[in-house]
Amino acid sequence: MKNRILALALLLSACTFLQAKQSQPSTSKEEAWEKWGPTAGLKSGGFLVRAGYVIGGTTPLPLPAEVRKINGFRPRGGVSLGIDGYRMFSKRWGISAGAHFFWEGFHTDADVKNYYVWLEQEGEITKGYFTGTNVTNTEMWGVTLPLLATFRMSPRWNVSAGPYLSLYFDQTFSGEVFDNSKGIGYLREDKPTGTKILMSRENPTPYPDNFPEKMQPVAVGIEVAFDWKTMKHMNVFGLLDWGMTDIWDRNFEAITFKMYPIYATLGVAYRY
Amino acid sequence: MSKKLYLCSRNNANSSFKSMHKTSIAALFAVPLFLVSCIPAEDPNTECDIEAVSLHFETPTDVFYHDYDTLQTVISTETAIEFIIRSYANVQSVPTTLRITPDATVFIKSADGTDIPFRNGSAVDFSDEKVQRFRVVSEDKMWSRDYSIAILHEAPNEGNLFFDFETYALDASGKYYVWETSDVFTDGTWKNGNPGFKISKSSAQPLDYPSTPVAGGGPDGSACVKLETCDTGPFGKMVNMRLASGSMFNGIFDVGNALTDALKATQFGTPFLHKPVMLRVWLRFEPGSVFQDRDGNVVEGVIDEPDVYVVLYRNEDAEGNRVQLDGNDVLSSPYIIGLGRLPHHYNADGTDQLSANPIHGLTNEWQEVTIPVNYKSEPDPVILQNKGYSLIIGFASSWGGAHFKGAIGSKYYIDNAQLFCE
Repeated sequence: MKNRILALALLLSACTFLQAKQSQPSTSKEEAWEKWGPTAGLKSGGFLVRAGYVIGGTTPLPLPAEVRKINGFRPRGGVSLGIDGYRMFSKRWGISAGAHFFWEGFHTDADVKNYYVWLEQEGEITKGYFTGTNVTNTEMWGVTLPLLATFRMSPRWNVSAGPYLSLYFDQTFSGEVFDNSKGIGYLREDKPTGTKILMSRENPTPYPDNFPEKMQPVAVGIEVAFDWKTMKHMNVFGLLDWGMTDIWDRNFEAITFKMYPIYATLGVAYRY
Repeated sequence: MSKKLYLCSRNNANSSFKSMHKTSIAALFAVPLFLVSCIPAEDPNTECDIEAVSLHFETPTDVFYHDYDTLQTVISTETAIEFIIRSYANVQSVPTTLRITPDATVFIKSADGTDIPFRNGSAVDFSDEKVQRFRVVSEDKMWSRDYSIAILHEAPNEGNLFFDFETYALDASGKYYVWETSDVFTDGTWKNGNPGFKISKSSAQPLDYPSTPVAGGGPDGSACVKLETCDTGPFGKMVNMRLASGSMFNGIFDVGNALTDALKATQFGTPFLHKPVMLRVWLRFEPGSVFQDRDGNVVEGVIDEPDVYVVLYRNEDAEGNRVQLDGNDVLSSPYIIGLGRLPHHYNADGTDQLSANPIHGLTNEWQEVTIPVNYKSEPDPVILQNKGYSLIIGFASSWGGAHFKGAIGSKYYIDNAQLFCE
């Protein structure tokens, strides 16, 4: 929760900061408003066709103490194509809505200690506390439907923020566990005093293949987008989709903490 | 909520804020990545094991048969630690060193039951086979384990052994059966893969396990043992160990190795004072219908075969280190001097020849089988007297079971085994 407040505070401070920066000589300012978009009193609308590179991860927030070290992180997929329609109600305020089709994901390699795992397959259950290296790969295909309030901070800068709904067409979540670089890798069955079952990278133990079935088909979150008008019809943009809902089914016991998708998109947009 | 994480996030936020006017977008996107880099403080350890016990003697071989017998590594399932000494040896207070989980604390129980912090190297009274009790408490103080350590005299042994498989009971977890056997064998119990099967098939009932008793099933109407090659279910498939052969052997089954190196989990043999010459045992076998390889592919034209073997091997190398045969070399180690086994077809290089024409001669009717032990070289009498050789008696319902090859449903019944020694 603290982190969400923090992000929001950050966003607000960014807005005021940039606004302050725009207080420059008034003649050139008026010209700039004229050149880059609708002026006061004029209602206008249009479309943005966006193409971007997606980078981010699905992560517990805050990181649980079981995670001791992130050895590696690599994005997978990372393509977003979308369209947004916008409507300005005044010189500075408007709304936008759209659909962004995405393929996003990541690979992480993390050292964990005493990490509770609960694996169930066809009625068979293995559970306990794992210490060692945990590799996770996930990819998601879907569409995000944002509904945003748009604020023009300056003639060329727009910031938009609002809720979004993501629908997933397909999700994969796979991975494996084995020993860490010091050769330590084991599961304590049931409890920390249970049978110690060694794991090694020569014969890693994969996640069961039923994990994707336990993933939620929808997600809800907050989107924040920054657009900068580079040319008459061209924007450079950056947006952040911060998931507020756990990716796992409520009754999924294999992973004891909630995980949230947090993905950023950087790209260009064509403006109609 | 970790305080450290919060501070860490705030610092990152500040630094992002400063560069906002230059790279506002990039800074914003950096936030989640920075969050990922904030690792909370480490929690205290929860484990509390004795991992190894070392006893200090000036001249170990006055008391033990081997120098290496003064050190025992303790597998995670074991809490009753026993050192076996020569029948005539006597010990008093012995300097004892325990290797425990890092940051755990260990206590020794005094006679009146109070826990006294134990300092490594201090002398412990092991006279008259006294059982000393220890308690290890985890760093977080939430968990503890109780252990016992004792120094016991070896069980007297005439050589010939008889196994009727009549004494069995459910294990402490109530999930599978364990069999008592001669005190000559480690822990006085038969070992098998049942503890490993429990990991893969949590739903299995005691009689669904690969090694089970059959009350009234023996040729004499008493109990016998049934070894059955079983499907290990979805978890077995996940780790490419699709079947579990029913087994019975003497030694140690270290279930900790069952996933990483299954061949190492089966540590065969117990030091033995006599020269075995023959095993006579009642057997009955019914092969499963479909033979499969490790990847679960059906192999046409192969009939599954059971196994039984008797091995005598040298348990110490030229430098005095322990030699322990496991699934990798139980029938092929150069330390083997005597071997008796059910007949099979072999390839020229000694590997098993998968065959549709078994020559072991077993059927679904009970028959008494005699297996002579053939010696490459004669055991040295002095080494023999000093337990320099170890004896293995092993049974398996699928002879390729160690490599996860066999036919699910192969059933192997065993009863009244007699080992004859010279």
